[in-house]
Amino acid sequence: MLRWLATSALVGLFVLNLWLPSSPLGRRGNERTVRAHVPAAAAWLGQALPDLAFEDLNGRVVRTADLFGHPLLLVFERSVDW
Amino acid sequence: MKARAFRALAGATGLLFVAAGLALFFTFFAYQRPGSEPALPMGPLGHYFAAFAGCALVGWGGALLAGARDLQAGRGIAPMTALALAGLALYRMLGWFMGDYYAWAGEVLRYEAALFLLLALAFVWLRPAPERRIA
Repeated sequence: MLRWLATSALVGLFVLNLWLPSSPLGRRGNERTVRAHVPAAAAWLGQALPDLAFEDLNGRVVRTADLFGHPLLLVFERSVDW
Repeated sequence: MKARAFRALAGATGLLFVAAGLALFFTFFAYQRPGSEPALPMGPLGHYFAAFAGCALVGWGGALLAGARDLQAGRGIAPMTALALAGLALYRMLGWFMGDYYAWAGEVLRYEAALFLLLALAFVWLRPAPERRIA
């Protein structure tokens, strides 16, 4: 009896695993929720970029002020350094 | 036949768990070397829990190896092993559904969950029968 109960639960989980879609929800919620948490960010749209300093892969400090006049693409990526 | 299959299953799973456990355990020590590059994409906290999981895996794998040698010990170990394997599958399924790990692991979580559930089923169905004792 217990063996069949365990089998039903495991087969149920197996079917769920096949059926379950991968959602873009994420732990912090969908994009709208995340944006609602940072309302101040909307005020920055259209404004000049503040002076920021980053360290590149070689340890060299790069300031955004040094990049004025050059095309600049900033990419923000969530770190996997958990 | 069933006993032999259980011995093979418990032995192979036990060996795999001991090996994975030792690897996780020593990864922590390798990470602590000054200037070392982490073998796993984790920080100090991640490595701390990896070492914890490694020790637990060595213990679990050792118990499975003991169960492969002594079928009555294996009879006691099999249900909890199946339950723990179902747990391993369940959190992978949630990780897959939430999508946070997709960029890093792709479909791997889903395959791992399927593998752990099949292993759990094998432990349920190959569990040795109780020993018959003549009074």
